[in-house]
Amino acid sequence: MSQKSKNFFNQIPTYAGMYAVLIFVTLVSIGPLVWVVMSSFKTNAQIVGSPFSLPTAITFDAYREVIERGNFFTYAFNSFTYSTTATIASLIIYAMAAFVFAKYRFPLKTLLFSVMVATLLVPGHSRTQPIFSLIMDLGLFDTRRGIILVYISGGLAMSLFVLRSAFMSIPKEVSEAALIEGAGFVRNFFQMHVPLAKGGLATAGILMWLGHWNEYFFAALLTTSARTRTLPFALAFFSEMFSFNYTRMFAALTMVIIPGILVYALTQEQVQMSVATTGVKG
Amino acid sequence: MFKREKRYKEPLGKLEIRQLPWIYFFLLPSVIIFLMFYLWPIVTVGYTSLTRWNGFTAPEWIGIENFTRLFGQTAFRIALRNLGWWSLIAATMHVGFGVLVALIFYKGPPGWKVARTFFMVPNVTSVAAWAMIYRFVFRDDFGLLNNFIRFFNPDFSVNWFFVSPYAFWAITFTWVFYAVVVTLVVLSDLMAIPQELQEAARIDGAGGFGVLWRINLPLCRFSIGTAVIMSVTARITMFEAIDLTTRGGPGSDTMALPLILVRNLSNFNYGMANATAVVMFVLGIIVMLAVRKIFRMDEPVY
Repeated sequence: MSQKSKNFFNQIPTYAGMYAVLIFVTLVSIGPLVWVVMSSFKTNAQIVGSPFSLPTAITFDAYREVIERGNFFTYAFNSFTYSTTATIASLIIYAMAAFVFAKYRFPLKTLLFSVMVATLLVPGHSRTQPIFSLIMDLGLFDTRRGIILVYISGGLAMSLFVLRSAFMSIPKEVSEAALIEGAGFVRNFFQMHVPLAKGGLATAGILMWLGHWNEYFFAALLTTSARTRTLPFALAFFSEMFSFNYTRMFAALTMVIIPGILVYALTQEQVQMSVATTGVKG
Repeated sequence: MFKREKRYKEPLGKLEIRQLPWIYFFLLPSVIIFLMFYLWPIVTVGYTSLTRWNGFTAPEWIGIENFTRLFGQTAFRIALRNLGWWSLIAATMHVGFGVLVALIFYKGPPGWKVARTFFMVPNVTSVAAWAMIYRFVFRDDFGLLNNFIRFFNPDFSVNWFFVSPYAFWAITFTWVFYAVVVTLVVLSDLMAIPQELQEAARIDGAGGFGVLWRINLPLCRFSIGTAVIMSVTARITMFEAIDLTTRGGPGSDTMALPLILVRNLSNFNYGMANATAVVMFVLGIIVMLAVRKIFRMDEPVY
């Protein structure tokens, strides 16, 4: 037997072990989701009677019912508006700060940056009461603006960290060229630096958007009416509404998880890279 | 991240001084957010944890009474015990599984990228949705898990989320294998190891396992340490996965600090709520310092 094929046979147990782990990873990661989507096309009796069977017919009746009776589009619209508005506003606010942290020197620079990034270490839920009271005092309880404001504040540490390193990797010749051309401070930022920091902006933006789209805790704390409710929080209400109609519940779950997965599918490499560099949960 | 750079000490030039108003203007929104949503809340939490306060009347100073009352409550002590076990499971099984998958990805058997894509999916879907899904997965009658087990043991019947001690393990299962953040962080460290180091070790006679144990893992200690900090900290703030499934029950079997905080908040026990927050905050700092020490994260790796 040649040396090469001997190596190959020696490695069979290693490869078997590796694939066992990879199959397990795949099963726990998407198995339940596949089951949910599959069940949303089955009747109640089929779901209860034969949990593993494939659906016998593809009908979207359950989906239509959820959309009509469950106010689905209102909640989806809310979630989308909150996530998108908060993400865009955060990117502008934190890019401005990250830009000056990366490119200029000024008194208090180190202190300001350190304390802002250090907020990453504060467990999010421990600030619950003051944030709740703040939103109440501002008269923003159960309003769109209140939720958006809280979401904007949530991205502080991560965005500053990601965006500062994006701006730092832009050579200082860019600023010098801007100076020679007579571009002022604001133009130097918007026209010269922002286009060059696209990668960092996309990374921070995608992470924040996914985080907001999936957020539950503050949405549950700061809203009460159906008018302002987000999709993840609405799930809790769906489960009461459709308590014994499992088909509809599974259809509702499918519609809640699909948009996040679609955004991820479109931006996969970016998401994986940004998780690797920031260690922040998407 | 917190390193002081020498050139700051040079005095600012004329142009730089002229730019200062713009610089502070650009910082202003971030600073306001920091003051309103971070600094002021942290100060409030710290101060009012030592008071009796319902949010309407002025806080009344009572010293450490909130803390003694908290530690006197069975639910709180069980929450701490749960946190202890979950932190241990997070630091060993959760991070261990994440590192194992990272090592497999690093080895790169055909198809690893597909697995990586799928592994990421639970992380981009809402925790609330997953909690709901798990309510169905763990159902006794038509749940995925029990019906799977019944292929092998037809008499198996457990109502996971509602019976002690299974509820604790059902909650544990909702996160223990979802270690993709650990995997990606460790993987990017593995990829950064210079090939020469591994070749040198092989020439010195190290086998595959030797390279792994003596070169690869020690060189990844920074990212593994970070992963431990992140996953234990995530246990401190775990809320949705519990509140949407067991609500801390049966009894207080799956109680956690954020649930106690929210419960006190909705009873207008703001002092108690913030005392719970202080405990969370302090535990987070202790975990970070301890892990940094254990993994020698303040020393350079190379």
